[in-house]
Amino acid sequence: MNMVLPRFSVQKSLAWWPAVLLAALVCAAVFAPVLAPLDPDRQNLLGRLKVPGYESRGVTYWLGTDELGRDILSRLIYGARISISVAVLSVLLSGIVGVAVGMLAGYLRGWWETLLMRLVDIFLSIPAILLAIITVAVLGPGFFNVVIVLTLTRWPRYARVAYGQTLSVGKRPFVTLSQAMGGSVPRVLWVHILPNIIGPVLVVATLEFGLMVLFEAGLSFLGLGVQPPTASWGAMLSTGRNYVATAWWIATFPGLGLFLLVLSANLIGDRLSDTIGKGR
Amino acid sequence: MSLLEITDLAVSAGDLPLVDGVTLDIKAGEIVALVGESGSGKSLTALSAIGLLAEGLDVTRGQIRFNGASFLGEGAQDLGQVRGRDLAMIFQEPVSSLNPLMPIGAQVAESLIVHGVASVAEATEAAIDMLDRVGIPDPKRRAQQLPAELSGGMCQRVMIAAALISKPRLLIADEPTTALDVTIQAQILDLISALAKQDGTAVLMITHDMGIVAEMADRVCVMYGGRIVEQGAVEAIFTAPRHPYTGMLLRTIPRLDHPPKQALFAIPGNVPSPKNWPTGCRFNTRCDRKSGRCDAVPALTGDQHRTACFHPLSEA
Ligand SMILES: Nc1ncnc2c1ncn2[C@@H]1O[C@H](COP(=O)(O)OP(=O)(O)OP(=O)(O)O)[C@@H](O)[C@H]1O
Ligand SMILES: [Mg+2]
Repeated sequence: MNMVLPRFSVQKSLAWWPAVLLAALVCAAVFAPVLAPLDPDRQNLLGRLKVPGYESRGVTYWLGTDELGRDILSRLIYGARISISVAVLSVLLSGIVGVAVGMLAGYLRGWWETLLMRLVDIFLSIPAILLAIITVAVLGPGFFNVVIVLTLTRWPRYARVAYGQTLSVGKRPFVTLSQAMGGSVPRVLWVHILPNIIGPVLVVATLEFGLMVLFEAGLSFLGLGVQPPTASWGAMLSTGRNYVATAWWIATFPGLGLFLLVLSANLIGDRLSDTIGKGR
Repeated sequence: MSLLEITDLAVSAGDLPLVDGVTLDIKAGEIVALVGESGSGKSLTALSAIGLLAEGLDVTRGQIRFNGASFLGEGAQDLGQVRGRDLAMIFQEPVSSLNPLMPIGAQVAESLIVHGVASVAEATEAAIDMLDRVGIPDPKRRAQQLPAELSGGMCQRVMIAAALISKPRLLIADEPTTALDVTIQAQILDLISALAKQDGTAVLMITHDMGIVAEMADRVCVMYGGRIVEQGAVEAIFTAPRHPYTGMLLRTIPRLDHPPKQALFAIPGNVPSPKNWPTGCRFNTRCDRKSGRCDAVPALTGDQHRTACFHPLSEA
């Protein structure tokens, strides 16, 4: 039908918005000092809990102020830094650990396979929140400890994916041939296996990115994450919860930020998995 | 002296014997064809020689010596040193034998780099030369391309280049042309024999096509049911085959002087699977010369031209 043409172009233009949105949020995080209108930590006890658009002494608080009179917009922009950098770091670390473990297990087989994959099972069976509480109890809360908690809880997922992919890629003739040529284990893994399993791993990583944003917010919400006064969306939600009835904007805007960040990451992950699925 | 010496090789999957007492030798610079129908154990023999048997398969008996060094049992040497340098292999499926995400030039250079015999720059240079030698036009540009940008025939040329770049002493080619169309098959085979002759490389050519054998091999080993049933020089085998199975294989070659409309000869019956191998001579279920004696295992006898049959087609 004739409907095909317009629908196609609409789809095409819509297809880009998750990437554009994600890029915008990343830019906000990177250029926070330039973009934020005010110091995110500056308190103004006279201007507490003001509605969005509140003006005082020539300064406009576009998204209102919080319970200590800090500018919500500035805190939101700085909060994006925390969310995104925690997510990026933990995705990188858990990805590297998990992929290394999974590839070794899937390629070496035998004794290594049993050992490493049982370790994966053990880690998967520990509830994430329990592990988080234990880690924070041992190491104390803070930015890097959040990254460590997330890495400890998330690497098994990459290990599973990398393991399964390595099993199938490892059986393909070019891998056998490279062994036949005398290629060492690290070389075969790096040159032949990794490039051929990286697609599915990237899909998982994008979806995990969204999850990591939520996990970080959750930990901060519980007070186990980044500590005040550093702006973090999870912590903003946590304090904002006490004021939802009187000052809805404190919790709403970080919630919206989380929603958009996670949504764009997930949409990109879905599209990636479609393209990679088609490429097979 | 023999380059590759396989003595009484047996391979089994658990309790099931798949290769049973194969003895085979290849001298330097010689082209030996290993022929037989599907399932006769040709690939397993070759994979044992290069040490790449799949999981679940084991060498249960026998000796493999390459260049005088033993690969099996006590005092066995590390195959990794030899593979890809003195001993190379080409598989049946050219496209899946190449890494889809690696430029072909790098894949051809791989064995030089892996064995540390050349720097990356030298190896890349050598790979371009080698691509040129196997007849790939514009090798400098092609070296940057991925396997998907090449045809199947081109990919097989790339595989040959990768196998021969380190000037191995022995090349094992397991049905290198079955995945290609007929016109290209001949080109590839000519290429392998020409390059092998130039570099003095010995070739173990696995095939079930007697036409290929006649064209390129110096010697032939015929396998049936996991055993060698006949071996000898090409002329001897083609002019005076002794084993009835060899005789039938030769009759399957299409000939131009055939009366038209006459159906091509097909060997009656099917290859029994290893589970259903008969006792005695394994060919006795399909043989037209079978007698009571054939319930015993015939020994491989003879000097240059050897056969394992109680009722050979022609006497030594
Ligand atoms: N991994 C395995 N496990 C069990 N049996 C196997 C395995 N690989 C091969 N076989 C069996 O061993 C026998 C010999 O196999 P092989 O691959 O050597 O045959 P081939 O002579 O190379 O035949 P083709 O011409 O089809 O390649 C076959 O019956 C096959 O089914
Ligand atoms: Mg085979």
